[in-house]
Amino acid sequence: MSVAGPAAPVLAAAALPIVAQRRWGGWVVGGIVVAFVAAIVWGGIRSRILDLTIIGEYLFHPAIVAGALNALILGTLALGISSVIGLISALMRLSGNPILSGLSAVYVYLFRGTPMLIQLVFWFNAVPTMFPTITISLPFLPGPLFETPTTVVVTPFLAALAGLSLAEGAYMSEIMRAGIMAIDNGQRSAATALGMTQRQVFTHVVAPQAGRIIVPACGNQYIMLLKSTSLASTIGYPEMLRVVTDIYSSNFRVVELLTVAAIWYLALTALATVIQTGLEKRFPPR
Amino acid sequence: MTDNLPAVSLHGVGKSWGPVVAFENVSFDVPRGQVVALLGPSGAGKSTLLRCINRLEGISAGRVYAYGELIGYRETETALHELADAQVSLQRRQIGMVFQHFNLFRHMTALENVMSGPRIVLGLPKAEARIRAEALLAKVGLTARKDAYPAQLSGGQQQRVAIARALAMEPRVLLLDEPTSALDPELVQEVVATIRALAEDGQTMMIATHDMAIARDVADRVIFMEGGAVVEDSAPAAFFTSPRSDRARQFLARLLKDGQAAPPQSPAQQDARS
Repeated sequence: MSVAGPAAPVLAAAALPIVAQRRWGGWVVGGIVVAFVAAIVWGGIRSRILDLTIIGEYLFHPAIVAGALNALILGTLALGISSVIGLISALMRLSGNPILSGLSAVYVYLFRGTPMLIQLVFWFNAVPTMFPTITISLPFLPGPLFETPTTVVVTPFLAALAGLSLAEGAYMSEIMRAGIMAIDNGQRSAATALGMTQRQVFTHVVAPQAGRIIVPACGNQYIMLLKSTSLASTIGYPEMLRVVTDIYSSNFRVVELLTVAAIWYLALTALATVIQTGLEKRFPPR
Repeated sequence: MTDNLPAVSLHGVGKSWGPVVAFENVSFDVPRGQVVALLGPSGAGKSTLLRCINRLEGISAGRVYAYGELIGYRETETALHELADAQVSLQRRQIGMVFQHFNLFRHMTALENVMSGPRIVLGLPKAEARIRAEALLAKVGLTARKDAYPAQLSGGQQQRVAIARALAMEPRVLLLDEPTSALDPELVQEVVATIRALAEDGQTMMIATHDMAIARDVADRVIFMEGGAVVEDSAPAAFFTSPRSDRARQFLARLLKDGQAAPPQSPAQQDARS
């Protein structure tokens, strides 16, 4: 093995510059694509499909900013609530108790299996029809403690929050179940052998590692939720799409106003991405 | 009083999953301070037996005692009542375990791994747990790597951290489940040296192993298992020179054949490299 190859050419090669492989084909295709996109954009500008001054005028319109803020609040609250629901449902599913596990499976099936839009409309329209008044009464008291028409309690905001949280909770349940199951049994055995109780095994060993695994999926769901708040426009909640629709139905600037809404949704998505990246960096390497 | 009781005492212990039998009717005592090597072919039930001693696995028959305490059950006149999780975890504190694949907590540094038992299970203050953990990492020679995560450590280093993590609970018995089987050949020695040092300190240990250096030089006693039963129970010298059973003789003959095939190769390999 020591006699392999003459020594002199090896030394000479070390002194020569290295020329990277030239990928001419890639550059040609890239040039064609850039020219194609430029042609489309230029065509759009020449035919005036879109007036940039109108976009600038409405981008920071108070009603639209309020709509974006409402979307952010609704989406973020729904993410928080659905995470709690998802965690409880995932733990029920994995508990080994057939009743809890079955309940969780049925929940996931129902709420993941029906369109979110139907669920939102259901909470806003169908629930007040089924239960016209809400009554809270305590035993041994003569009259009801609290009584009110359901329509007063179920505001568009609450109906949207309930609909989004419960639908999303079903997805979260599966994401968290996958994260928990991804932790190998060796980790649980080691923690148990140290003398940790099953609760301690979960909080100190399984949950921190599962958390790291599910962050990208949760980031995905947050982005999806922020965009799904637009569904609440159908039940009269003044989120962005609703506001924009109201404006363009009076001034007919449909393209510009929908573009404004899209820009705001992109901004919200960028925010969610920043949070997700930050969380991923906070966890130690595995 | 507990000083006179055996560290581990097995009374007719059996384990099966339905028709699949891991082992049956195993009985022996391990006195305090003894180092027992559990030998036998793969599938002989060695690992499962260890996992039954700290009740990572439930048993199907018999009784397991550690320092006279019945593990996993409360005995009344009429029945054995299974203990709740909280009570079994109290019993596990005095029984340490080291695993074939180390099983270090991947989200914790080496130091945090060693601190985890004292911190989470015993509830020691952080500073105190840290002092204890640093002393143990020094003992296994890994002070310099205390802030490394498991993924950044070699197999031998991970296993030494795992031993330190088990020792941090100051266990009265240490169970080692094939501690060198997952290691590259050149890393085995550092782990064997660590285990030898523990034996010299008088740590009671039960070691399921395929490593003849541990069985011959570290252990005080060899228990040979095959097909779910204890076939031979003797001193290491007696076991390796004059095994009583045919099965042990065949097992040793196979090992010896593998062992002798290796040495003649190494001088030739060295020539080829230089």
